[in-house]
Amino acid sequence: MGALTAVILLPDRAVTVTGEAEADALWLAPAELAKAGGWELKPEGLCRGSLCVPVPQGASWVRGRGGDVRVDLVGLSRHMGQPVAASLEHAAWSVGLAAEDVADRLRSLDAPDFSLPDLDGRTHTLSSFRSRKVFLLAWASW
Amino acid sequence: MTVITVALDSAGAVAAGEFIRAAKPTHPSLIDAHYEVARAYNMVNVPTAVWIDEEGRIVRPNEMAFADNRWIEYTKFDMTRYLAAIRDWAERGSKSAYVLEAKERRKRLPLPTAEHAMAAATFRLAEHLHETGHADAAVPLFKRAQALQPESWCFKRQAWALTDAERYYGTNFQKEVAALAGRPYYTPLDLGG
Repeated sequence: MGALTAVILLPDRAVTVTGEAEADALWLAPAELAKAGGWELKPEGLCRGSLCVPVPQGASWVRGRGGDVRVDLVGLSRHMGQPVAASLEHAAWSVGLAAEDVADRLRSLDAPDFSLPDLDGRTHTLSSFRSRKVFLLAWASW
Repeated sequence: MTVITVALDSAGAVAAGEFIRAAKPTHPSLIDAHYEVARAYNMVNVPTAVWIDEEGRIVRPNEMAFADNRWIEYTKFDMTRYLAAIRDWAERGSKSAYVLEAKERRKRLPLPTAEHAMAAATFRLAEHLHETGHADAAVPLFKRAQALQPESWCFKRQAWALTDAERYYGTNFQKEVAALAGRPYYTPLDLGG
């Protein structure tokens, strides 16, 4: 497979990256990987914010070295317990939240935060309502 | 107390806008076109409410939250009791009997499984394909998400609403409700207190 432009659907946004699809994998250079979920390749491993995970010896989702290093986003995500759904035909990869991460967050009883727009396009963030009670209601038109 | 409403609607303002405009809300009325809130709280139906206290803590996890008794045939619960509970909480705060004990809150949390997480990721991909003009390719993915989390009415009803449900899914809401054959459409409300 040659280079392709892929849409990566992340939990809170969508980004476009350039990579190489091969069988089940999506190989990305470090700069593209950083766009696709904030992963940064450092000497201590792959880091996202303050979280770093060592790359296991012989991990099938890393290849090459130095300037030619490539990381398979699908393999990495699965390693992190994140579900991946993909459509090669439509060059789209959906990387979800790990069930354990969502469950841990809920178990803490701290309400998961979010920022969403209203009809006028103004963004509201749940955590900015601290010091008030919030009655959060989800509804739908369907 | 602040009311925040979130519309779970893949078509975003196109679908939810007319309802919001008609209601002329004075509270934040948000639009969640990619089911972000549904994923984070593992919501499987609407209307669903979560009570969050002044410290940002969940004091009542996801539960059925109809505003009146129009759907009592489905809910089998007098929702005026629920409204009274909300008022009690607004007035008495943490002293309200409807603020659940931490142990009870944790027991009620709908914790997602790996299948649910995969369902959410698959649904997100299906939404994207639908939105980018590949409605036919989206259908099998919507079906897969529905199969991975069959208790989610969100995944079913949203997918049906985006297209001709009979033609693409061989079903519709009325048929599915009839197929419940007496089992509850929505997890019954346990008010406690």
